[in-house]
Amino acid sequence: MAALATPAPPSEAPADPPDVRAVGRELVRAMPRLSRSPAAVAERRMMATLMERPELRAALFRFVDVRPACRTRADVARHLAELLAEADPEGAARLAGGLASSRAGRLPVALAASAAVRHTATRFIVGEDPAGALREIERLWRRGVATSVDLLGEATVTEAEADAYAARCQEALRTLTAAAATWPARPKLERDAAGAIPRVNLSVKVSALTPLLRPYAPERGIAGARARLREILRAARELGAHVHVDVESLDTRDSVVGLTTSLLSEPEFADGPSAGIVLQAYLVDSPRHLDELLAWNAAQGRTTPLTIRLVKGAYWDHEVVEARRNGWAPPVFTERAECDRNFEALSRRLIDESPRVRAAIASHNVRSIAHAAAYADARGRDVELQILRGLGDDVQDALAATGRRVRCYCPVGDLVAGMAYLVRRLLENTSNDSFLGARAMGEDLDSLLEAP
Amino acid sequence: MTPFANEPLLELRRAEVRERALAALGDLDARLPLRVPISIGGERIDAAPFPSLDPSDPERIVAVAEGATPEHVEVAVARAAAGGAAWAARGAAERAGVLRAAAAILRERRLELAALAVRECAKPWPEADADVCEAIDFLEYYARGAVALEVGPELLQLPGERNRMTYAPRGVVAVIAPWNFPLAIAAGMTVAALATGNAVVLKPAEQAPACAAAVVDALHAAGVPGDALALLPGGDVPGRALAAHPGVHAIAFTGSNAVGLEILAAAARPAPGQRHLKRVVAEMGGKNCILVDADADLDEAVPAIVKSAFGFAGQKCSAASRVLVHEDVADALLERLAGAVETLRVGPADDFATDVPPVIDAESRERVERYVALGAEQGTVAARAEGTAGGYYAAPAVVTDLPPDSPLITEEIFGPVVVVERVASMEEACAAATASGFALTAGLFSRSPATVDAVARALTVGNLYVNREITGAMVGRQPFGGNGLSGTGAKAGGPDYLLQFVDARVVTENTVRHGLVV
Repeated sequence: MAALATPAPPSEAPADPPDVRAVGRELVRAMPRLSRSPAAVAERRMMATLMERPELRAALFRFVDVRPACRTRADVARHLAELLAEADPEGAARLAGGLASSRAGRLPVALAASAAVRHTATRFIVGEDPAGALREIERLWRRGVATSVDLLGEATVTEAEADAYAARCQEALRTLTAAAATWPARPKLERDAAGAIPRVNLSVKVSALTPLLRPYAPERGIAGARARLREILRAARELGAHVHVDVESLDTRDSVVGLTTSLLSEPEFADGPSAGIVLQAYLVDSPRHLDELLAWNAAQGRTTPLTIRLVKGAYWDHEVVEARRNGWAPPVFTERAECDRNFEALSRRLIDESPRVRAAIASHNVRSIAHAAAYADARGRDVELQILRGLGDDVQDALAATGRRVRCYCPVGDLVAGMAYLVRRLLENTSNDSFLGARAMGEDLDSLLEAP
Repeated sequence: MTPFANEPLLELRRAEVRERALAALGDLDARLPLRVPISIGGERIDAAPFPSLDPSDPERIVAVAEGATPEHVEVAVARAAAGGAAWAARGAAERAGVLRAAAAILRERRLELAALAVRECAKPWPEADADVCEAIDFLEYYARGAVALEVGPELLQLPGERNRMTYAPRGVVAVIAPWNFPLAIAAGMTVAALATGNAVVLKPAEQAPACAAAVVDALHAAGVPGDALALLPGGDVPGRALAAHPGVHAIAFTGSNAVGLEILAAAARPAPGQRHLKRVVAEMGGKNCILVDADADLDEAVPAIVKSAFGFAGQKCSAASRVLVHEDVADALLERLAGAVETLRVGPADDFATDVPPVIDAESRERVERYVALGAEQGTVAARAEGTAGGYYAAPAVVTDLPPDSPLITEEIFGPVVVVERVASMEEACAAATASGFALTAGLFSRSPATVDAVARALTVGNLYVNREITGAMVGRQPFGGNGLSGTGAKAGGPDYLLQFVDARVVTENTVRHGLVV
């Protein structure tokens, strides 16, 4: 039932742009060497352990997930002990005489675990709030890395929560704009063939702007978030900032894209602000979705081009689980190579469309990044490369060092609010087919740069 | 036969699927009102017509059904007793083939049937579709189950004796079905009885005759003989006469506690001349609790509570009606739950934008309003969504600060009302939840493995859901049925359910001849 009436992506990618390997090697040469510090070595060892021990990985993720809801140290210790015992009953039994059984012994372990969670979180989350994140954002700018700030938060289930998120977005735009005025010039990050690029870039989630997103009635979410997103766009226009609308699970995509395109079509936004949307390459119907976005872009007369951020997509498990539960064909590619090929095909189409749209290629996979960069070089087009904070810091530094336009997606928020995000990132980082994992395990460069 | 798999739901998040559903509704509307005659021995009989109305718009007559009388019950049971033997004689595999053919007919007509549930019972689309799928699931699942059951269990065999155990149909099964799953539960109880070789007399809910007739039509069209399956539309009068009939061997009932207890009591006393004991499979009410511990993820708990308490206006046996929340997170939960409930849209079932449809009839609406008024008197109405006019609409309500003996806490409301109570611990929550005697479903939000274990041990409910909504049991995955005062414990959609509809018989043969084992 309801077969996906979508064209399959090319099963064989056309010949590589000539310089993919060259660009890839250049990036890898420019990467900082793997750190030999004891902490970095210990972290790599932990990642390797987690990849080999799925039950331990599950226990640790569950601990990270529940940690913010624990009110006391004893509560932290109890949850940690229970989760470890569930993951590894024998290990817990071995420890029975020591740490795990006595309350006095458990507390230091819990404290250390809490500290580790907090420390890990700071790798992925740049600050508790926009003001607190400014130092790191400016540091990145000075090193040739632009940013997009994403405000983490609890799920929005009430109108009051939606209002609070919208107010945080407005405040973030003002705080970041005031600070950005003092930054030094970085021409590569501030202008491309299509014109000026705003220094301040805010990513916005429509699911946080309304409690009314309904998969069966997109018009309710659109109506619910409309006024709040309009105010954010107005503020961005006034401040000269960029607003990027994130796309989340497929259940809400029609609402999110429908809202964004309909607002941007309004006459008041014809001359700004700079705005963008996301295309998820893991979706089987993403080529058709790009057709629709390009058709819309061609039909409206905005003076700043739409930015399309191409990502693989962060809700793969959710989409597959939901589809299986309901008996549907999964809406996502289930083979990684298929997804990677589609990502590259969409990259080429976006770069071909530039500068009618701005192409932003977001990945921490060196092959995907090198492919987009080499293709843009070959076509003489502009492309922006985007990296998730904490997942591709080395690639990001190498891109800046080799003179490419790179933007870091920077989540901002407190630890409690950021936990759901953090858990997703951690899962990604230690999944068996992760590029980062492969690199940490020492897989050789040429095989990582091969066409998918 | 392929292994059982649940029927895929409609992917209603895709606009083109929604358009097809609305087109099917348009086609159905053009044919309304439907005619639902009595069906006995394959003959269609007219008697005293009564209307079945659209709760979203009671001006619309969905069906005109013929009300059966006790005389019709007499004839139907007699025909079933006489004609049932032929159906039983066909064997499980052949019967399964017929039932699976009926499943194929339902599959073919699924949009039309979902539209019918939307109109006749005001089931919102996703739930109407799930009702069709569950009906198909019951057909496919019990057909396979009956084939497996016919083989009989393995027994110990010693030299000199041969032991066999087989399951025989009980005879005539009376099915008394509810309106809240007008297709699925009517189909499930009927098909469990048919698959195991019984004859069935089905008395559907007065509010949902057309849905039941659609199931019966599919079964007859697929080859279930008219004598093996009769349909008697109507209210309490044919229902009582059927349950009390001495020719009925088993009663499968889903409905209110009051009626269920009455059936159980009456069935316990054999009528003069009755030469069997009646077995009753009763699925009755609940007062279902969701427990929220201090370590719960409220981002997950709030939407799950909303869905469990207000989906289909709270008119599922499994719906949540109490939330027992740890005092440390009670304020946060109540504030977010109240805010979430205020965003709910009350409206007609056919509108995809509707969150909460009308309740089934005017009497239900008045009952809900009575309880909410009492809640305002005894405690605080923390939130009430906006209502609307035109149908039997009852706006969702969250009530709190109630005394422990409040009827809102002790009685089943069967409508969009949820009560929030504070507890100091999950032990206290378990004690409060079990005090009612109902034990159908419950939910728990906690991220501690030890708490999950402790609550699973302490609660006696038939179905406990951890960190998810508490409605939407799937055939083969979540066998469904209550304990305590909630039911006789049979698990619909589970591996044991068919045993309710059969008598076990053991045959032991002595194989020793002249002192020799042969």
